[in-house]
Amino acid sequence: MAKAMTRHDAQLLPLTFTLNGRVQELDVEPHELLLDVVRDRLGLTGAKRSCDVQVCGACTLLVDGRPVSACTTLAFEIRGCSVLTIEGLAEKNGKLHPLQEAFIEHGGFQCGFCTPGMILAAKALLDENAAPSEAELKHFMHGNICRCTGYKKIIESIMAAAKKMRGNA
Amino acid sequence: MLRRFRLEEPESVADASELLGRFGESAKVYAGGTELLLAMKEGLVQYERLINVKRVKGLSEIVAADGMIRFGALCTHHELEKSSLLQQKLPSLHKLEQNVANVRVRQSGTLGGNLCFAEPHADPGTLLMALGAKLVAEKSSGKREIAAEDFFVDAYETSLQADELLTEIRVPAPTDHSRSAYLKFGYLERPSVGVAVAFNMNGGGLSEVKIAVGCAGPAPRRVPEAEMLLNGKSREEAERNLAQAGAVAGRESQAITDLHGSQDYKEHIVGVLLKRAFQSAVS
Amino acid sequence: MQFQKEVEILAPREKVWNFIWDVDRFIACVPGCKDAKTIEAGKKYSATMVEKVGPFKVEFPTNIDVLEREELTHIKAQASGADNKIGSRMKVDLDVNLREQDGKTMLGFVATVDILGKLAALGHGIIKRKADQVLDEFAQAVKKRLEGDA
Repeated sequence: MAKAMTRHDAQLLPLTFTLNGRVQELDVEPHELLLDVVRDRLGLTGAKRSCDVQVCGACTLLVDGRPVSACTTLAFEIRGCSVLTIEGLAEKNGKLHPLQEAFIEHGGFQCGFCTPGMILAAKALLDENAAPSEAELKHFMHGNICRCTGYKKIIESIMAAAKKMRGNA
Repeated sequence: MLRRFRLEEPESVADASELLGRFGESAKVYAGGTELLLAMKEGLVQYERLINVKRVKGLSEIVAADGMIRFGALCTHHELEKSSLLQQKLPSLHKLEQNVANVRVRQSGTLGGNLCFAEPHADPGTLLMALGAKLVAEKSSGKREIAAEDFFVDAYETSLQADELLTEIRVPAPTDHSRSAYLKFGYLERPSVGVAVAFNMNGGGLSEVKIAVGCAGPAPRRVPEAEMLLNGKSREEAERNLAQAGAVAGRESQAITDLHGSQDYKEHIVGVLLKRAFQSAVS
Repeated sequence: MQFQKEVEILAPREKVWNFIWDVDRFIACVPGCKDAKTIEAGKKYSATMVEKVGPFKVEFPTNIDVLEREELTHIKAQASGADNKIGSRMKVDLDVNLREQDGKTMLGFVATVDILGKLAALGHGIIKRKADQVLDEFAQAVKKRLEGDA
């Protein structure tokens, strides 16, 4: 990935962070947005720019396990953090995460545009609460919008994954 | 893409305040950025410097002490949502924080930032006003306390001086007789109308009634004329006065017609929410 | 957005009329208005409107065209400007009316204000209040100037 052209007097902030399990080093300018760095400089295009005002969740990334809107997060904020994108969710040998498997099995996506954000948000939910009620799930996932599915299959997918992850598939 | 700016990262309130004083309007305090970055992305504001205050220590504590519950201005909505102290002592504020925006905004956004940006369509200011909160403003030369009702001057305008930072929010510790509730209404991304009530209920009689209306007008407002209809009354009498109090509160709220609804509509919703918030608080 | 204002001025109609055409003094009454210039006397003027709502500042370089003029009675004017930094345009259709009433002058304005672009979508209610405020302050400033100079 080509390094962004910077002015000679630009303030450069050196970032060291973990990306999908691997240590990365990168220099960013203060005004760079996390979504642009992830998509354009790191080539990870799973996170999408959709509403650009942090209401839709299509750009959701997990930073130290916390869901953030990458479209409205300054890139330098990930220094020293562990960042997870959808590309890093499956295991190295290609085995899918239970959430990914559940979304496939239960039809939790149609066009797939919201899906990376949806799955990462669901992961954050289940990491916080391994057995959410449907009300708790809806409350947590309220900020992830889908235009295709009507949400029913998404809820089913997440609940199924939760059950599997708890060990009672 | 944002316009370029320089990042300053002071490690004390005094340093942050000094930077604000030195750079004036070309610099802005930056915490969670959940409001600021949106305005910057839209090109509505631009700054030469952002002053990242997240390195200043001691501004994210939640403590019950000295007859108050004290929140550091850098507490995120998520931290407030997860605070068992808050859930026990101030369930109305806990519920409010649990329902701010969405889970991602709650992770990054701070209570202090929310209050300082003074976006009309926001929640916390309204309830803090009804709870009699005091906001602590600090600069290099000292601190002062600002009552919540004196903090919100107008839309996007607070009474903070140019070189002051909001460092703490203090709510009087509730007693066994304290009751409060906050209800909001909206179908857009931000709330359209928010109503907070707080009072003491002693043996069926109400005292120290505070009602605040937010989101409808340019800034959250106490509505004293509506409060008078409920204050010092028995619960039954107050309940009989609710409809009138709602109408009065609606008019006092300075509702503006905008994309969230007409003035009439908002005034009506104020009445509905007041009734429901009151019923929620007494039960 | 439409606004209507009427202010009572304790000064004769001719004095008020002349004041309106004294561009520098007149423009000085508009809050946030500066750099008034006469491009063609009686017909074309320019000025810069600067308004602030909290941290949001707009600066509209404005062109003012006088469309109709009825001596001592009525002026119809149009003002338009654009703030390219923010991406917003403003247009104001202004009707100014003067009438005599018991030795006083009633100065009335009807302003139709259109704001286009980003500003409009984000803060219609706020803009309305601000515009209302500006017109109020303006009317009061005109009154004060004219009565003060008695």
